Amino acid sequence: MTTGVDPAVSDALRGVFDPCCRDKGISVVDMGLLHRATVSGGVAQVDLLLTSGWCPFASRVLTDIEDAVAAMPGVREASVRIVWDEVWGPDRLSDGARSKLRFLPPPSAAGSPAAYLATVRAEEES
Amino acid sequence: MIGDAFVFDGVAHPFNFEKDNAYGQPGEMFSNHLYAFHATLTPDGQPVMPPEQFLHRWTIDEIREMVYEHSDTDMLVAMPLPLTDLYKDGLSPWEECARLAQRDPDRTVFWGTVNPLEGKKAVDDVTRQVEEFGAKAFKFYNVRYEDAGPVPWRMDDPKVAFPVFERIQELGVNLIGVHKGVPLGPQPIEHTQTWDMDGAAANFPGINFVIFHVGLPFIDETCWQLIRYPNLHASIAASLNFIVRAPRQFAEVLGKLLFWCGEDKIVYGSEAPLWQPQWALEAFWNFQLPQDLCDGYGYPQLTEQAKRKILGENLLRLHGFDVADTKAKLSKPPGTPLPA
Repeated sequence: MTTGVDPAVSDALRGVFDPCCRDKGISVVDMGLLHRATVSGGVAQVDLLLTSGWCPFASRVLTDIEDAVAAMPGVREASVRIVWDEVWGPDRLSDGARSKLRFLPPPSAAGSPAAYLATVRAEEES
Repeated sequence: MIGDAFVFDGVAHPFNFEKDNAYGQPGEMFSNHLYAFHATLTPDGQPVMPPEQFLHRWTIDEIREMVYEHSDTDMLVAMPLPLTDLYKDGLSPWEECARLAQRDPDRTVFWGTVNPLEGKKAVDDVTRQVEEFGAKAFKFYNVRYEDAGPVPWRMDDPKVAFPVFERIQELGVNLIGVHKGVPLGPQPIEHTQTWDMDGAAANFPGINFVIFHVGLPFIDETCWQLIRYPNLHASIAASLNFIVRAPRQFAEVLGKLLFWCGEDKIVYGSEAPLWQPQWALEAFWNFQLPQDLCDGYGYPQLTEQAKRKILGENLLRLHGFDVADTKAKLSKPPGTPLPA
């Protein structure tokens, strides 16, 4: 669940992309990377979850987010932190993002890999 | 051995981090990037090297000592890195890996590497590395750095990749690893994804392909391919090193792999000297998936049998070694260095 995200910050970040998702047009907001975002007294603080902890582009994403938030009206200072003690999961995706990405179902829904594979192949043939 | 598990480490790189080995700022940035992995993911209570200690030319004696003397590792793959546009010697030259393997010919296995974009030279290099240096497998990187920019190639390219794979097979080698996910610097993302593995696996059913780093962050995509091709396998090298800092994230990745591709297709690697191997080995041997992931999602639990397969038995099998015979011959008792 995204907690305490200022809608104005979300709006400001709808044009910011992780490089892995840029080609699909999925913003950091739609990816569910925003964990917390507040603006108080002209100071913006954004807490971010990463889909993978070792993306070498993470620093670029942080910079892009910081720049976008710092450009918001009334913001004179912005900082972005990575949250490590929570795990990003596909449940954080927006509906639009989910529709653009293939994600395997939870095992409990798939039954077994073989059963899921058979289902997909049957759908492809029909 | 750790517990009763034989440990076959699928990847160590004798890095040459000397500053004059790097081609300017891009190479230095990459070195610093790898140092950050070391400094960030090494858990509290374990020694973190200062940059000046870590960023040097690692000798084969240092790698050997770290892996065999200071961890419960029984066998090792000496694996090159061919980043020849970032480093004068590619960062971990294959010749150095061959030397590392020659130090312990029963225990350390040399994997070769070539640049398939070089055409006939690549085929000739394969021949030389197998016939003269005993390469038992090959490792590829799909984004090369040439002419000051990234030059990607695909594993399913019949003109670039297949002649190299064919030569590898002709020489009796049937194991190929490929770096996927985890961009090595400013690479085009799409060429670190795994979609080209379909064509490679389908056209070379006699070759076993290992997808390193399980293609993270593209884990679902990787699983979707592992399901469909019996000759695709997954290495948790480096992905494993989140086990202490981010155990829940590691559990999610491992749970998906255990369910979708199964415990017979997952292999271990330490990435030494990025991290001292022992802390991650101990953490893995003691690891269990959080029960709510098993109950709620249906992931299978990580059993001791699965741990034994992942830590060594699967990689032994992929190399064609007899598991029981090799364990009987080369197992080190836990906590001991190499026998004299």
